Amino acid sequence: MFKKILIANRGEIACRVIKTAHRMGIRTVAVYSEADKDALFVDLADEGVCIGPAPSKESYLVIDKIIAACKETGAEAVHPGYGFLSENAEFSRRLEEEGIKFIGPKHYSVGKMGDKIESKKLALEARVNTIPGYNEAISGPDEAVRIAQGIGYPVMIKASAGGGGKGLRVAFNDQEAHEGFSSCVNEARNAFGDDRVFIEKFVVEPRHIEIQVLGDSHGNYVYLNERDCSIQRRHQKVIEEAPSPFVDPEMRRAMGEQAVALARAVNYESAGTVEFVVGADKSFYFLEMNTRLQVEHPVTEFITGIDLVEQMIRVAAGERLSFSQQDVRLDGWSMECRINAEDPFRGFLPSTGRLVRFQPPLEQEGSVRVDTGVYEGGEISMYYDSMIAKLIVHGATRDQAIARMRDALNAFVIRGISSNIPFQAALLQHPRFCSGHFNTGFIAEEYPKGFDAAMVPHDDPVLLAAVATFARLRYIDRATRIEGQMPGHGRKVPAGWVVIMGEREYAMSVEPIEGGLSIRHRDQTYHIVSDWRFGELLFTGTVNGTPICLQIERRGLRYRIAHFGLQVEPMVMTQRAAHLLSLMPKKAPPDLSRLLLSPMPGLLREIAVSEGQEVKAGEKLAVIEAMKMENVLKAEQDRKVKRIVAKPGASVAVDEVIIEFE
Amino acid sequence: MHDIIRQLEEKREKARLGGGQKRIEGQHAKGKLTARERIELLLDDGSFEEWDMFKEHRCTEFGMGAETIPGDGVVTGYGTVNGRLVFVFSQDFTVFGGSLSETHAEKICKVMDHAMKVGAPVIGLNDSGGARIQEGVDSLGGYAEVFQRNVLASGVVPQISLIMGPCAGGAVYSPAMTDFIFMVKDSSYMFVTGPEVVKTVTHEEVTAEELGGAVTHNTKSGVADLAFENDVEALMMTRRLVSFLPASNREKPPVVPAFDPPDRLDHSLDTLVPANPNQPYDMKELIAKMVDDGDFFELQPDYAKNIIIGLARMEGATVGIVANQPLVLAGCLDIKSSIKAARFVRFCDAFNIPVVTLVDVPGFMPGTSQEYGGIIKHGAKLLYAYAECTVPKVTVITRKAYGGAYDVMSSKHLRGDVNFAWPSAEIAVMGPKGAVEIIFREEKNDPAKIAAREAEYKSRFANPFVAGARGFIDDVIMPHETRKRVCRSLAMLKDKELTNPWRKHGNIPL
Repeated sequence: MFKKILIANRGEIACRVIKTAHRMGIRTVAVYSEADKDALFVDLADEGVCIGPAPSKESYLVIDKIIAACKETGAEAVHPGYGFLSENAEFSRRLEEEGIKFIGPKHYSVGKMGDKIESKKLALEARVNTIPGYNEAISGPDEAVRIAQGIGYPVMIKASAGGGGKGLRVAFNDQEAHEGFSSCVNEARNAFGDDRVFIEKFVVEPRHIEIQVLGDSHGNYVYLNERDCSIQRRHQKVIEEAPSPFVDPEMRRAMGEQAVALARAVNYESAGTVEFVVGADKSFYFLEMNTRLQVEHPVTEFITGIDLVEQMIRVAAGERLSFSQQDVRLDGWSMECRINAEDPFRGFLPSTGRLVRFQPPLEQEGSVRVDTGVYEGGEISMYYDSMIAKLIVHGATRDQAIARMRDALNAFVIRGISSNIPFQAALLQHPRFCSGHFNTGFIAEEYPKGFDAAMVPHDDPVLLAAVATFARLRYIDRATRIEGQMPGHGRKVPAGWVVIMGEREYAMSVEPIEGGLSIRHRDQTYHIVSDWRFGELLFTGTVNGTPICLQIERRGLRYRIAHFGLQVEPMVMTQRAAHLLSLMPKKAPPDLSRLLLSPMPGLLREIAVSEGQEVKAGEKLAVIEAMKMENVLKAEQDRKVKRIVAKPGASVAVDEVIIEFE
Repeated sequence: MHDIIRQLEEKREKARLGGGQKRIEGQHAKGKLTARERIELLLDDGSFEEWDMFKEHRCTEFGMGAETIPGDGVVTGYGTVNGRLVFVFSQDFTVFGGSLSETHAEKICKVMDHAMKVGAPVIGLNDSGGARIQEGVDSLGGYAEVFQRNVLASGVVPQISLIMGPCAGGAVYSPAMTDFIFMVKDSSYMFVTGPEVVKTVTHEEVTAEELGGAVTHNTKSGVADLAFENDVEALMMTRRLVSFLPASNREKPPVVPAFDPPDRLDHSLDTLVPANPNQPYDMKELIAKMVDDGDFFELQPDYAKNIIIGLARMEGATVGIVANQPLVLAGCLDIKSSIKAARFVRFCDAFNIPVVTLVDVPGFMPGTSQEYGGIIKHGAKLLYAYAECTVPKVTVITRKAYGGAYDVMSSKHLRGDVNFAWPSAEIAVMGPKGAVEIIFREEKNDPAKIAAREAEYKSRFANPFVAGARGFIDDVIMPHETRKRVCRSLAMLKDKELTNPWRKHGNIPL
């Protein structure tokens, strides 16, 4: 076994590899860019080598620097993680030349699978299902119809040079194929100056399901079941799970055996993933093979009990797989949410900056796992991927896994930057997600206009009103214990309260109970027991004996509460105050579409327009320098500039008005 | 006897209605509450004791003799906020437009006199059209009586003004002399001369809101301390402010039960100051992580944002926080920020509130607008305020403390009691670049030499040790233990006694 390995990666995956290596008694070397010198993975590793400036092209992607770091530290093998050099055949070949082991497949396997055409050919030869299609020139619509009939409807007619939905038709019958071919050819000629068109099987309601395979250098192969990665946003995976709610044992075996056949065809030694697109009719077709460890590998580890990184290291060291296919377990259900530094309320724009608060849920052996490379007080830089953590849970059933994930998301505190946790929590509440009936179009179909946390359905909004009441009464209880009161003339606290939440008001009556308060609204009673302390972002306790965990923050008179993806900002008042408040004018929120707000704190470098100027959507309006990077703010719609509010050179806060439009 | 009691009931009923149901509805239609509704929200339920409900004006000019309304346009008395005594007056816009008559002023003066006698805050809810013109000089005299009391009460009992409607002309000067001014957006304004006069005199077209609304005074003029969305929010937040304040200068600020452990460490603060000295960071994060429960009652948050002021608690006891904000103008001191902080430091000093100062200041703001505007005089206000201040003073230098601004920001030399520095502190006359260009002027054209000199200067001065060697810094502390160390310092200083030499009053550079 190796004595020392180098991890040619950063962030959570570097941490994850280091942990397994240390458990196996292997020393570790981190390589890091200047931007990562204070990163967690550098701290965790036994040694660290700085390999250059922040941009990955000058650090994490420079093969020479990594090889030099191996030689400098005496590392015998390199784990590439995912991304960066993990699927670079040149990298693994160079390492081999230098006598350093690559913890991953051999370069010839990588090379073959890296080529789309060749991988498809190999798959065909290995009797792996591939999407039926016709790639040669098609003489005319009649031939197109004949080909379509041969493939079987529905088919997709696609311009070779196509993109962005242009030059694409779906045909369900002969007539549509005939017409679709002609119009597709015309469109392709006009749009791309290239009228070549091909036809392939159109997969209805496609799901993305992949098979984890593992092979050693002694010709042994196993498949470790599937992962369903259909929940995607713009082709980025958001939630992954294993097993798939769609796959039955027979299908699993068929897919697994095909995946192993493909791995065998390229003498694949290591962990790899064979991706399939799966239709509503349970047909599945090979897409590509990822010759590396996947981001979502932990869900497989949870259901099989196998540490994939350990297996990769053992295989690279020449060991035999210690188990065979019949030993592979499928135990319970696992799910992973990718926690990204992005703002779900602003079109998922990446969010960078300081992690003012970062408190992931507590890890629990066998049920909750957090893979992360960041820490409270750390900096999220714009140089790398926006994924800052992976939250992985395991349960006996899918429902239990969902319940655990909901709880874990409730307890995940991130402040300072925006995260997609509210969106993830909302997905976990979505009935379609919970039913398991979804495909890769799920997010686009369900959130066509983006995401609004105030719209997430909640089983029991009154509960949130009750918690707000609890918090308010805790504050009042303390306030009434202040020094310097007129003796005997203390404040009388009434039992009746009103919670104003959104458009609704909830009348509450409160009674003290052991360790907390009993809060009643109409015929619902909430016995809330909690030792929540003022200012704590996490509210934990029990409601009617059931554990509860939510996030709460006092902001002026409001309490911002987030629970199961819903975010509300209730106010708690006496009945009289609530009545008086109802006399106050309802102020319409400012029309934000008429304002250009700063999306981040920074320095306003430039205003590119002048007052009175007409601007077109997409036109540059202003430049904000934040964290040494210039961020160009563009017009979202055609507008006329009314007033320039902020001056160039000014520092602007997030949401500060820069330009007003007419 | 029975008859008297019936009459009393009638009179009370009439007084409660103020200017009548129609005017009350008019007040609501303008988005404002009535004088009595406001008092209800401000005080503990049922705690209000009203005085002078039956007081009526004595004017007979212009037909006023026939028009009297009991109470005469202002509701006065006392009550409690969380059981603690406060005096209150609330102008009633429904009665003669809340205009100030001689008797109206007498009512205000009565509560102020009582507040001074017993030592309790005065809270004024202002909603008045101005002087009662029919009374002429009687009304003006009434204003002056109030002004005189405002001045005598200044520094003796806390005075808080809520502007909840018009407040124009001479009337503005009563709130102006109180400790805090809160305004309500869209329904309150303050100006010495209104938009019409402005138009005639300077030909400027401006609305009342633009000229003297809540946003104007909270962002441009710095006259006000906070702006609120409506009356309810303003009044409920005023209760929160009162909870930080002592009843008078004879008392220490009140303590509430504390649950936040004083020895709570926060390791994320160790990375708050960026490695690059020119990169800003948010000082409010340190404040939030240092004080009890992360609860900071910030004042003037939208004015002179390069300095942060506000109230918080440490171990349950009130502290005043003054902090440079590196996020805005690099945290430098300029005219506005000096005045903002100086007045706050003097407030804390007057009311026995310890001052915790967080320093990251690159110096005073250069430029003609600053010099012509009198930065010398205005910057001196902050220096004067800190130097005069005798309450416990704890200072933490997080990064830059350059030049005269180092001296100003509660330095050891200005009787700072405990002065800490983080390891990232740089205490020097100026930043390395500027210093080297002066000291080694002749080497200016040799970048290599200059770079070497800069490095030399940095290693010599860009650290807390030089100041530490002279005792100007009591200790270098780790950022994560800031709360613990500040709490301990304040506990140690609890019974601090220090008095300035007797004098009639100092001559602060106004």
